[in-house]
Amino acid sequence: MALIPLSYNLRSLIVRWPSTILTVLGIAATVAVLVGVMALQQGFTSLFRAQGRDDVAVFLRQGATNEGDSAFTRERAMILMKTVPEIAEDEAGRRLVSAECYLAVRRNKTGGGGETNVPVRGVMPMSFVIFGRDITFSQGRNFTPGTDEVIIGAKLAERIEGARLGEVLQFNTTPFRVVGIFEHDGPFSSEIWGDHDRISEALERPVYNRVIAKLKDETDWPELVRRMDQDPQVPSKLLTEREYLTSQTSAFSFVLSALGVFLAVIMGIAAVFTATNTMLTAIAARTIEIGILLSMGFRPHAVFLGFMLEALLLGIMGGIVGALIVLPLNGIQTGAMNFQTFTEVAFAFRVTPQILFGAIVFAAMLGILGGAIPAWRAARMRPTEAMRRG
Amino acid sequence: MPPFRLVWKNLLRHRTRALLTAASLAVAIFLLCVLRSLLVVLESGIKASASNRLIVQSSVSLFVYLPESYEAKLERIEGVERVVRWNWFGGYYQEPKNFFAQFATDVEDLFEVYPEIELVEGSQEDFFGDRRACVIGSEMARKFNMRVGDTMPVIGGLFPRTDGQPWDFRIAGIYHSVKPNVDNNTLFFHADFLQKALESGAANGPEGVGIFVLRLEPGADRVRVAETVDALFAGGPQRTQTTTEAEFQAQFVSMVGNVPFFVGSIGGGVLIAILLATLNTMLMAAREQTRDIGVLKALGFRDGTVFGLMLGQSMLLTGVGGMGGLLIALSSEQFFAQLLGTAFPGYHIAAETVVEAVIATLLIGVLAGIVPALRARKLSVLTALRSVG
Repeated sequence: MALIPLSYNLRSLIVRWPSTILTVLGIAATVAVLVGVMALQQGFTSLFRAQGRDDVAVFLRQGATNEGDSAFTRERAMILMKTVPEIAEDEAGRRLVSAECYLAVRRNKTGGGGETNVPVRGVMPMSFVIFGRDITFSQGRNFTPGTDEVIIGAKLAERIEGARLGEVLQFNTTPFRVVGIFEHDGPFSSEIWGDHDRISEALERPVYNRVIAKLKDETDWPELVRRMDQDPQVPSKLLTEREYLTSQTSAFSFVLSALGVFLAVIMGIAAVFTATNTMLTAIAARTIEIGILLSMGFRPHAVFLGFMLEALLLGIMGGIVGALIVLPLNGIQTGAMNFQTFTEVAFAFRVTPQILFGAIVFAAMLGILGGAIPAWRAARMRPTEAMRRG
Repeated sequence: MPPFRLVWKNLLRHRTRALLTAASLAVAIFLLCVLRSLLVVLESGIKASASNRLIVQSSVSLFVYLPESYEAKLERIEGVERVVRWNWFGGYYQEPKNFFAQFATDVEDLFEVYPEIELVEGSQEDFFGDRRACVIGSEMARKFNMRVGDTMPVIGGLFPRTDGQPWDFRIAGIYHSVKPNVDNNTLFFHADFLQKALESGAANGPEGVGIFVLRLEPGADRVRVAETVDALFAGGPQRTQTTTEAEFQAQFVSMVGNVPFFVGSIGGGVLIAILLATLNTMLMAAREQTRDIGVLKALGFRDGTVFGLMLGQSMLLTGVGGMGGLLIALSSEQFFAQLLGTAFPGYHIAAETVVEAVIATLLIGVLAGIVPALRARKLSVLTALRSVG
């Protein structure tokens, strides 16, 4: 079966460049919006999921859905920290466990953008041992335990006022000095950390919100989860840090995905209509050419395939252009309110290869859908009529 | 007499093309209406805020509680007529994803301070008299199929009961809020019920008051009262931040992010893409009708008439498409309202949205049609008649 040479289709596209550009732009706009929203979603979820540690266990109060709800009194936290046998120890024999208090406080955004809720975490020195190299300091130093000093995650330091090295943040009536800026690939870089005692006192929260620990390698995880759930003294909900972070992002992540799909479908429909329109006009203008092709001996299905290929090319071009338009967004810092935890999270747009691939496939589909009817019409033309009409 | 029928007939000459252009326009306008309505929902809560209410919250965090002793002090401030407390309960019904707001409040003062909350079933006396009673919103009653007299078990998230059981509230009334600043998806119950449970150890959770809502006396100066409140508690134990209800609502909206910008940029992009598509259609139509325009002018019709015919085609095409899109948006209103029920309560197509859709349609019609129309106007008869195709 002889197929129409690709060069014919390609050159048609180039010669009739206004229609080509119009169709490509329509598809590109749809793809750009889809990729943009998905990049936002990927940036958000990857911040949490990728950085969650599988080897760090998080103890929450039973029934709590996040740290904000969870609360342990000092006594109970101590019981957990001292008595759970699965907690690992370091070389010096210290138990790798820490209790933290957590509160979302109001801070003003830089540039007069209004207020936002920022997580403040009061930690024990052991938290740094547990997270080890995940946390590095880009400016200044760590805070001294027991003092009114705080350190701030690098991403947050840029987004709120008064968060630079040496400045003073006031929590309720107590001033805290910023002595260091730290880097963390995950959500901690949107947090303020300080000494647990001083923070609880300043915020008047005499409870701990969670206990974190590194567990021994041979720990039977399901057994431990079950046991802690039924523990008579301190019943707790046990999760790995990764599970915990994933659970905190599911709602927002879902909303973004749903939004992306909705926009893509709606704009896709409009793009398909536009593509069909332009291709129909193109076919009408090329009636003579089609007549010649058919009378030369090309079968109708070759004509059909030829035009489908043209449509596919248009789709793919639209996809590539759309992706290129949005690609510069990659890595751009932005922030959003995670309404599950009600705190501001800073993250970057993340355009992944999967998103790009999916978008181009989607664009190709749009092209094919748009080209189906025109290609069908072209294939059904009768050579003599076609040459006469043009 | 200008041949108006030509406008109609010319469009119908290429039925498929006209239909497809109108269809893509319809889709675009529909999308714009939906996006705009989301924005309207976010803003409507702010706009409907009462001007005689102030919200007193902790200046530190949304999640920090104020001492109860503040209530008496607030009542004594000049300009304050009533004080009611709201404590976010943070529970859920059956599953965490059945999310809705619950507030423990001073029930006797609630209806005074919030006259927009009206009981449509049940009675206030019944509600006031029974400490375990609650009132729920009409939307919630519909969704969970609840009636007055039923028991609503709420699992405490923030305030778990020590016996591990859910909190059982008896529904004494169903309310309906006539304004969008209070939604119909909330449960209100007695604050002292919560307090007694905390004191007796039947439940655990933070003590104190989440926010105080102040209803001002008529003619009171809002700014001055707000400043007085914050100054009164500036020394602690908890510093306050007093704002108008509008600012309080706005704080939640701004936390969602820069939605107006996002919606605006998508809307703008869509409009431009559609404008290009429509312009392309009109230019093609103009090219095809070159001969006809020549004939018309030779017959004696004026340049202005020809201009009008050309522009008329564009306006008719976009008009049909735009109205189609608006109709789709209006008929899908209920669907979206249900879909977005809890996240965007009160989704509806506002009058402003309709006006904007109409303006956008007209604008596209004019912009797409002006170039072909001007060309048609200037076309000389000879050139037109001589042209091929």
